[in-house]
Amino acid sequence: MAVDKKKLKVVNNKTHSIDGQGLMQGRSYYTDDLAEQNSLVIKILRSPHAFAHIKSIDVSEAQKLNGVELVLTYKDVPHVSFSRAGQGYPEPSPHDKFILDEYVRYVGDEVAMVAAINERVAEEALKLIKVEFEVLEPVLDFETAYENKSVIHPEDGIKEMFPIGFDPKKNVAASYEMEVGDVEKELAKSDVIVDETFYSQAQAHAMLETHSSNARLDTHNRLVIYSSTQTPFHMRRIMATTLGLPVSKIRFIKPRVGGGFGGKQAFHGEMFCALTTLRTGKPSKLVYTREEVFGASYTRHPMRIRMRIGAMKDGRINAIDCRSLSDTGAYGEHSLTVFMIVGSKVLPLYNKVDAVKFGGRVVYTNHVPAGAYRGYGAIQGNYALEATVDILAEKLGMDPKVLREKNSMKEKETSPIFEIMGEGTKGTAMIMESCKLPYCIKRGAELIGWDKKWPRVKVSDTKVRGYGMAIAMQGSGIPFMDMGSCSIKLNDGGSYNVTVGATDIGQGSDTLIAQIVAEELQTTVDNILIYSSDTDLTPFDCGAYASSTTYISGNAAWRAAIKMRERLIKEAAEYLGEKPENVEFDGKIFTSKDKQVSLYDLSVQFLYNKNLHQVSITESYYGHVSPPPFMAAYAEVEVDLETGEYDILNYVTVTDCGTTINPMLARGQVEGGIVQGLGMACFEDVKYDKKGNLLSNNFLGYHIPTHKEIHKLTSEFADSYEPTGPFGAKSVGEIGIDTPPAVICNAIYNATGVRVHTLPITPEKILKGIKELKK
Amino acid sequence: MLVTFYLNNTQVSYDVRPDEYLSQTLRSHGIKSVKVGCNESTCGSCTLLLDDKPVMSCSVLTASIEGKHVTTVEGIQEEAAKISYYFAEEGADQCGFCNTGYALVVYSLKRTIKNPTEEQIIDYIVGNLCRCSGLQSQLNAIKAYLKEE
Amino acid sequence: MKVNEYYRASSLEDAYQKLQASPKNAILAGGLWMKKMGQSYDTIIDLSKLGLDKIEDKKDEVVVGSMVTQRDFENSKIVSFLYAGAPAFAVREVMGVNFRNLATIGGSIMGRYPFSDVITGLLPYDVELEFYPAQKMSLEEYLNYKGKMNAILVAVHIKKGEGKGYFKKVKTTALDFPIVNIAVSKVSGEYRVVVGARPMVAARSYKAMEYLNNGGKDFAKAAELAVEELSFMDNKDSSKEYRVDLAKVYVRRGLEEVSK
Repeated sequence: MAVDKKKLKVVNNKTHSIDGQGLMQGRSYYTDDLAEQNSLVIKILRSPHAFAHIKSIDVSEAQKLNGVELVLTYKDVPHVSFSRAGQGYPEPSPHDKFILDEYVRYVGDEVAMVAAINERVAEEALKLIKVEFEVLEPVLDFETAYENKSVIHPEDGIKEMFPIGFDPKKNVAASYEMEVGDVEKELAKSDVIVDETFYSQAQAHAMLETHSSNARLDTHNRLVIYSSTQTPFHMRRIMATTLGLPVSKIRFIKPRVGGGFGGKQAFHGEMFCALTTLRTGKPSKLVYTREEVFGASYTRHPMRIRMRIGAMKDGRINAIDCRSLSDTGAYGEHSLTVFMIVGSKVLPLYNKVDAVKFGGRVVYTNHVPAGAYRGYGAIQGNYALEATVDILAEKLGMDPKVLREKNSMKEKETSPIFEIMGEGTKGTAMIMESCKLPYCIKRGAELIGWDKKWPRVKVSDTKVRGYGMAIAMQGSGIPFMDMGSCSIKLNDGGSYNVTVGATDIGQGSDTLIAQIVAEELQTTVDNILIYSSDTDLTPFDCGAYASSTTYISGNAAWRAAIKMRERLIKEAAEYLGEKPENVEFDGKIFTSKDKQVSLYDLSVQFLYNKNLHQVSITESYYGHVSPPPFMAAYAEVEVDLETGEYDILNYVTVTDCGTTINPMLARGQVEGGIVQGLGMACFEDVKYDKKGNLLSNNFLGYHIPTHKEIHKLTSEFADSYEPTGPFGAKSVGEIGIDTPPAVICNAIYNATGVRVHTLPITPEKILKGIKELKK
Repeated sequence: MLVTFYLNNTQVSYDVRPDEYLSQTLRSHGIKSVKVGCNESTCGSCTLLLDDKPVMSCSVLTASIEGKHVTTVEGIQEEAAKISYYFAEEGADQCGFCNTGYALVVYSLKRTIKNPTEEQIIDYIVGNLCRCSGLQSQLNAIKAYLKEE
Repeated sequence: MKVNEYYRASSLEDAYQKLQASPKNAILAGGLWMKKMGQSYDTIIDLSKLGLDKIEDKKDEVVVGSMVTQRDFENSKIVSFLYAGAPAFAVREVMGVNFRNLATIGGSIMGRYPFSDVITGLLPYDVELEFYPAQKMSLEEYLNYKGKMNAILVAVHIKKGEGKGYFKKVKTTALDFPIVNIAVSKVSGEYRVVVGARPMVAARSYKAMEYLNNGGKDFAKAAELAVEELSFMDNKDSSKEYRVDLAKVYVRRGLEEVSK
């Protein structure tokens, strides 16, 4: 179905986001805007201890407080283990969480829940709950978690859904091993071996809308939940199983979401809203405070990654060994899948190796749980791999750009890793039908002035500019697992209702699905009335994760539009008394020889006058491959050699994401990802005290980039066409975040000679390194 | 206690607690355009104009605004639409949660500083966090809006 | 934060009486950190009707009302003439405009916050605090004053002078507390050196000042003296060692700047 991009009128053309204006004008459309006016307000009593057993809990005083409607402890809720991760079924994450439990496993873990007539009363009631804790020895260093004498999950009733290496008695949430060829043999043969270990931190999503959900019973006494979620259909399924309700009793609606980035691909307050409304019959709501978002939701998995790379003198990389240790915190959401991506979406970049090995463990600690976060696994792996490749290039005496050009993935090539590794399961073999990585590398080098400036340019005695680069890849959904679907219904007048399960969390999927449908049906975006993510009203979609929406849901929408077009032509042919193959449709008029009928007339006829019927179509799609988007990134940094402070003067990216369905939104995804990645690379530090209290639990302690830190982003796209994607598109939601840690690490090294192995790359670490070099 | 002030030029009197904050008061009276992102004066999502100056409404006690003028995005609908046009042109809008705060800050900037320098623009908007965009597209959109006659 | 009563004072005496009435009564300034601290108050006292939001240009000094917002201070023409704009620049480094439109100069000073950019930015100069009931105290005396001040800050008197100031806030991002902040001045030939956020509240370095004001020309040595004299500590934002390194560099650079 190759399409001539030049003929496209809507797709790949500048199109304003369809809801931008309404949101800027302040329409009430986010989850908490839609809570019932008289909702009971839910507050959670949270653990002050990193690890403790609840010896006794007395809620009688809280229950007596006027205005308190419900108090719940572990004694009052179903004792069913589940995973809060919003993933497909069976979940690849361990079922290691109870709604409430007699153990608390991190500072911030849930002890009890109060629902009251307002926030003041709910907060007052929390203070009246008396808890006696038996404080246990916490595990606060993930490098000592394995087989630690403190077992974080000693309880019965927790399980894995299929083998994921779950071994809770050893504090292991998941583990994984793979090898292609014989890495040790190939390393032994190599002329040069580099062996480097890197640490990355527990980045916080810091989406501006805090986690929010609310519930009410409808007139059929069904539970209706509004939730700021990325995965409404998974939420419905997991909630039904955990609460012992039929799926038919629950409706999840995702309104506008104020940023997700993976942080909303999991349960937050939904179970508590459901229980409160089911038990009291009253509407309820739970809105996280900012402190709860930082200290009681999820973070990126902190990791230690050891990379060993062997190469020949001519620069051929022949073996890569990647050993990882990942900290999933108190619970194992996404523990295996994040871990596997460290290998599966990173190591195939250098596909010409004779041997590659990946493995290690995901361990429990008494930290805030880790979960899904944009670019998960890939950003950690990319930092370690791409910094190590630069180190290798220096050892080989090569320009790292040339080393990458020589060894990296090209079009029509493959990697054995694709077939071996999927997300939690086996993978899918695939050939790179679209891979413009060589162009991206070349073009990015031109834009930054690499050949003239690398590795450094001296500005003054105290200032020097350094240049760094990295390459990256992602995927486009999970093959044979992620499914999206789309229904299109013709209205009188010729507009179309489009309903999709796809979850717009701000990335603009409603807009680009409308574009895809409009393009195929030769109409305009304002003629497409899109409604998404309501488990009652829209067809199924796995949700917004794994860079799947454009590719999976977009393909579903494209297929539905193609079918709708065929159907309309058939209907018009019948109406005109012609054969379908003789009917032409230009989006407005059906023409066959001398006969014509407009879509307008036809649509009115069907509903009011003749041959009365509703024209509608539903199509779905799942991937058979997961075509990776590729990127080359370069940065220019200016370092103050006396203080270690640095500015990122320019960050250049060239991206191959196939056709950009919406070029402006695609740029927004890339640049938004870059800035989040720069946050992780440079500013966002996570600090705990010795007792496991999170210190960086607000925006004064946790520093996300502001307008003053971002000076210049130069973002271009390669001309690329992915034959399996809608109008040639691949995904673009995550690729942007992957490169900054490695790029900045490499640029700082090139400026100063200091290699920072632990994120974030702070001025303090750089200065320390500069001082050591002087010694 | 009863507090009387002007909400988008209409006089209103609300019965509030002495420790109630303006963001809370407005949201409880249906002004949901006021978004609370941190509730501790660090993110700027709840920004509105108090006597024409941008302030974080999560940190203004409602009791303190007796007689003052409050402008929310409901009071600048046309300008918000214009600003949104430039955001869309640059692909700067994503989740939208910070956008109402931005609209008010940018509207205020246009009326406060004639022909601001880039440094002045950044200084004016830096108190409004955005986690979605690359920030540069927003800045470009804002510059374009400020240039509009 | 919990408050039982919101009280709009009709006069300074009225406010003062109310303040004395209970240890759980407090004056409301910008209210920003008051919220963050989350305490309970019986009464909070609003001074907004008392005309304390004016900046006056006097012969030898600029008088800044305690309720002047940080934003009005940094934008004031009168303030901009002080020491080549250094105090105004220091205030501009605090958070965003939507914050500084609320935060007051009086609140910033009275809190004696260790992270204060306002205090560091003013401390090199001759700054006197005017309280009600009538009492005057230099900014430096107030920083060293033991115990809680029960009087109400009315105005901040900044003496005019011929010379230049320098201010540097080292930070991770723009919306951040300083890792360390440095203010240096040369007024009528006399140097002053201040380092704040060590992470303790700002202080002058008298050893560095003595060296410089007795003909010492080596700015790096002056910076060494400053870090020797002033105490520095670790906290989550920075190690003690890094703070010392930064202070050394920026005191030296500040001195180079103001002596140009």
